[in-house]
Amino acid sequence: MTAKMAVSTRRGLLAGAGAAASLPLLGRSALAADPISIGWVGPLSPPGGYAEGTNMKNAAEIAAAEVNAQGGILNRPVEITYADTRGMPAEGRTAAERLVQQNKVVAVFGEFHSPVALAGMEVYHKYGIPFMACDVWSDQITAKGYPEVFRNAPAVSLIDVTIGQWIAAAGFKNVAIIAEKNDVGLAARTLVAQELTKANIAFTAVDADPNLTDFTAQILRFKSTTPPFDFFLSIYSEAGAYPMIRQAHDLGFAPTANCGIYNSGGEAVDPTFWENVGEAGKYLVTENVGLPKAAWNDKTKAFVAKYREKHNADPSGAVMESYDGAWLLFDAIKTAGNTDAKAIIAALEKTNYVGARGKYSFSTSHEPAWHYHQFLEAPLTLLQYHEVKQGQSDAPILWPKQFATVPYIYKKPGT
Amino acid sequence: MADYLLIQALNGLVIGIIYAVIAAGLTVIFSILKIVNFAHGEVYMMGGYFAYFAIALAGVPPLPAVLVAMVLSFMLSVLVERTLLTPLYSPTTERKGDYGILVTFGISIFLRALALIIYGPYPLRPPSFWPGVAVAGGLVMAWDRVFAGGAGIAMLLALVWFMNRTPWGEALNAVSQSRESAAIVGINDQRFYMLAFGLGGALAGGSGALVGPIYSLSPSMGLLPDTQAFAIVILGGMGSVGGSILAGLLIGVSESMFVALFPDPSRSLTYAQAFSLLILMVVLLVRPTGLFGRAHVAME
Amino acid sequence: MSPWSKTAGLVLAALALVFPLLVNAYWLSVGVLAMFYAIVTASWALLAGYAGQFSFGHVAFVSLGAYTSGLLVMTFGVPIPIGMAAGVLICGIVGSGIGFICLRMRGPYLALFTVAFSEVLRIVIVSENEVTGGSGGLEVTPLFHERTDMPFYYLGLGLLAASLAIMMVLVTSRWGLFFRAIRENEEAAATAGVKVVRFRILAFAISSSFAGLAGGFYGHYIGILTPDIGSVDQMGLVVAMAVIGGAESIVAATIGALGLEFLIEALRSYGQWRLVLFGALLLLTMRFARNGLLALAWQQIAHGRPWRRVRAADAR
Repeated sequence: MTAKMAVSTRRGLLAGAGAAASLPLLGRSALAADPISIGWVGPLSPPGGYAEGTNMKNAAEIAAAEVNAQGGILNRPVEITYADTRGMPAEGRTAAERLVQQNKVVAVFGEFHSPVALAGMEVYHKYGIPFMACDVWSDQITAKGYPEVFRNAPAVSLIDVTIGQWIAAAGFKNVAIIAEKNDVGLAARTLVAQELTKANIAFTAVDADPNLTDFTAQILRFKSTTPPFDFFLSIYSEAGAYPMIRQAHDLGFAPTANCGIYNSGGEAVDPTFWENVGEAGKYLVTENVGLPKAAWNDKTKAFVAKYREKHNADPSGAVMESYDGAWLLFDAIKTAGNTDAKAIIAALEKTNYVGARGKYSFSTSHEPAWHYHQFLEAPLTLLQYHEVKQGQSDAPILWPKQFATVPYIYKKPGT
Repeated sequence: MADYLLIQALNGLVIGIIYAVIAAGLTVIFSILKIVNFAHGEVYMMGGYFAYFAIALAGVPPLPAVLVAMVLSFMLSVLVERTLLTPLYSPTTERKGDYGILVTFGISIFLRALALIIYGPYPLRPPSFWPGVAVAGGLVMAWDRVFAGGAGIAMLLALVWFMNRTPWGEALNAVSQSRESAAIVGINDQRFYMLAFGLGGALAGGSGALVGPIYSLSPSMGLLPDTQAFAIVILGGMGSVGGSILAGLLIGVSESMFVALFPDPSRSLTYAQAFSLLILMVVLLVRPTGLFGRAHVAME
Repeated sequence: MSPWSKTAGLVLAALALVFPLLVNAYWLSVGVLAMFYAIVTASWALLAGYAGQFSFGHVAFVSLGAYTSGLLVMTFGVPIPIGMAAGVLICGIVGSGIGFICLRMRGPYLALFTVAFSEVLRIVIVSENEVTGGSGGLEVTPLFHERTDMPFYYLGLGLLAASLAIMMVLVTSRWGLFFRAIRENEEAAATAGVKVVRFRILAFAISSSFAGLAGGFYGHYIGILTPDIGSVDQMGLVVAMAVIGGAESIVAATIGALGLEFLIEALRSYGQWRLVLFGALLLLTMRFARNGLLALAWQQIAHGRPWRRVRAADAR
C-alpha cells in the first residue's frame, strides 16, 4: 500500500486514494485483491420482459452483497456487472462480448428470453466462459450440448408434462387453452397437448399475439361452445396475462363451479398479481418453480425474508433462480480454488450445493440432448389461491402429491 | 348464438367509443395544426398514469381522477406544443410537414422511454370505477366497460358541443378552415394552436384514464391504440370529428366481430392487432382522403 | 469537394481500416453492428432526406431481407451469399411495389402507410411461426465461423463502402437532382419534365434493397433472427441516427449512425436512460439544428468561425 501511495504520478495517487477510501467497505483480507468479476444478463428495458428482469437483478444484488459481507471468495471481493439485453438477441450478443472482453468476467448468469440466451451462448462458447442460464425454458439451451452452459431452471419439457399430468389427475374432461405465440408458449402448448391426448382428454388450443390485452371475444367464444369447457389453461407470461384472467372472471367463464382456471408463465406469482387481478385471482392454479414452503431450508427462509424486507414482495421462482445462479457460481469458484473457466465448469459438474431452491446437481448425460447440464430435479409445484391477496408461499400446494399440503387435487370454487 | 353475437357487438361498441375519443383528439390536432401527431398514443399512456397516481398518491376518487388526467394531459400537451411545435408556424421553416412528422415521432420515443423510468416496468392497475359485472339476461359486461363507454360518449358529446356551440370552439373551426382567413378576421393563431393541441391531448389522456382499470397500464400501451386511431382518423376523413366518431365505432365493432367469427381462432387472435392496420392500408389505397372526408387537406 | 472534407474523408477511411487492430473483440463486435446500422441509416437518408419520402417502414425491409435469406439458407440449403442476394432482390421488388402503391400518398399519409405495413409484416412473422420461428427466433447459419469478428467487420465495411459509393454516385448524378426536385415540389418537378412516378418508385426500390442487404448481413452475423428487428422502436433508433447526424446528407447520416451506435455502447451502464437521452437529442436536433449536428460541427471546424457569422454569410 505504501509503495503504491509513493508513486509520484497523479494517476497513481488517485488510485491509492480510491483504494483507501473503499477500505471500510471490504474485509481486511480483501483489501489488496482485485475483485472477481462476474456478469449478469437479462432484460431491463423493452421490448424485453423487463418487469421480471428487474426482479431477477434485485436478487443478484442481494447475493453479491451477501458474499462480499462474508469477505468475498478466495479472499477477493465479488463484483457483478449487470448487462441489459432488452430481450433482443443482438443485444444479448454484444452484452456477452462486452462482459467477456471489457469486464473480464470469469462467469455469467441470468437471462429471461430463450432466443437472447441462445445468441449470447455462442459468445460464451467461443471464449469458454461458464454460463448459468436462469429463467429460460427452451429445451434448445441445454440441447446444444455446449460444455460452458448450465441451466438451473426447469426446461419446458419438465414443466408441461407436470401440468398435463395434473389436469388428467384432477379429472377435467374438456380443456380450453390460450397460449402466447413465443417459444415458451408454443412449446408448452405442444407438450401439454401431448399429455392430454395421452390421457384421452378433449381440448381446444388457440394461439394469441403476446402483446394482446383484450381476449373478450375469444373467451365469449369459449363460453358459448358446446359441450362446455370445464377447464381454462392460459399459457401467458406477457402483459396480456392479467387482463386475460380478469376478463375470464368478469365474463363468468372461469373460475366458476363448472370451469377451473390455470395460468402458466410466472405472472401469477409476481408482486403485482393481486393489484391487477383482485377477485379474479381467487381459485386460480399456477406453477411455482421454487421450493414448496414445507421444503424450505434455512437459505430459502433467509432469502425470502431479506427479499420481502427490501422489495416488499415474495420472490418468484425466477428470482430465486437468479439468486441461486449467483451462489452456484460463487460456490464453484470457491471449490475450484481459482477463476479458471475449465476449473469452474468441472466444479459445477460435480456440485452438490444447497441453495434457496434445494440441492443442486447437473446431469452430464446427452440422452436426451436437453438433459446435458440441466438441473433435472428443479423444484416445481402447482398451487391454488384460496383467498384474495394470498401470498404465493401461503397458497395450498396441490401437486405433485409428495409436496401437497391439502388432501384434494383441485378445489372447486364455492366448495 | 344471438346472445353471443349481441354481446360481441356491444363489447366492440365500447372499444369503438374509446377508439373514437382517441381518434377525435387526433383529428382536432390534425385539422388545426395540419400535422399527424405520432406521439398521440404516448399522451394516452401518460393520461392513464396521471389518473393512477392521482388515485394512489393524492387519494382522488376514480371518477374525478379522469378529469385530473385530462387536465394534466392538456398541460403536458401545451408544454410540448410551446417548446417543440412553434417552428410549424414560422414562415422561415422549410418543409413543415416533414418537421411535424419527425418531431412528433421523436416525442413518442422520448415519452415512452421516460415513462419506463418514471413509472417502472410493472403493469399498474387503478381501482375500478365500479366493481362487478352488469348482467342482463344472457348478456354480461364488466361495469368498468359500461362506465368507460358512457364516459366516452359524454366526452364526445362535450367535444361536439364545444366545437359547435361555444365562441372558442367556433373560432377553432374557423382556424381549421384556413389559417389565412382566420388571421384576417383577427384571430390570434398561436393561442388556437395551443388550445387545439391541448384539447387533443386531453381527449387522449382521458381515454387512457378510462381504460386503466380494464387493461392495466404499461409504458408501451400507447403503441397499438395509436395505429388504431390513425386508421380511424383516415377512415373518417382527415379532419372530420363526426367522421372519426363514426369510423371509431365501425372499427371497434368490426374488430370484435372479426375475432368472434373468423373460422380459425388461432389466426383471429394473432391477427386481431393487424386488423385495423390492414383497414388503414386499404383505406389509404382506395381513398387517400378517407370515406367521409372533405376535399384533400393539403400539407404545407 | 473542399480540401477539408477530402482530408476528413481520408482520415475516417484510414481509421475504419485499422480499427480492428486498435480495439478488443468487444468493440470490434460493436463495430460490426455499427456497419449494419450505417447501411440502414444511409439508405433511409437517401429515401427520406433526398427523395422526401418519409417511410417509417424502412426496418421492415431489414427484416424482410434477413428472413428471406435466413429461410432460404435454413430451409432449402441455399449458399449464404445467394440467400443474401435473394434478400436484396425481394426487398427491391417489394420496395418498388410499396413505392408504386404509395404514389398517391405523401407526407404523413405515406408515413402512416409504411408504419402499418411494417407492423403487419412483424405480426405475420410472429403469427406464422411454423415457417418463421415466430418470437422464439429463427436460428440462422453464421457467414463465418472464425473465433474473431474480423471477417464480419471487413465484410461490413466493404458493404458499407460499396453502398455509400453507389448512393453517392446516384445522388450526385442527374437522378439525385430529380430526387431533390420531387422532394421540393412534386408538381413543379413534373412540369419541368421529371418523370415523378419512375423516380419515386426507384427511390423506394433502391433504398429498400440496401436495407435488405443490411438485414441479410445482420442475420448471418448474429445467428438468430427475431421479429423485433422490424419493430417501431428500431425504426425510432434509425430515425434518431439519421436526424442527429443530418438526414439530408448520406455521409452525415452514416456518421450519425456510427457515432450513435458507439455512444449506445459507451453509455450502456446508463441502461434505460440511453433511450431517453437519444429521444431528447433527436428533439433538440430537430428543434435547433435541423441539418443535423454534423453540419453544425462542420461549420465550426472547417470554417473556423462562429455559427452565427456563418449563417449571416450564407444569407448574403
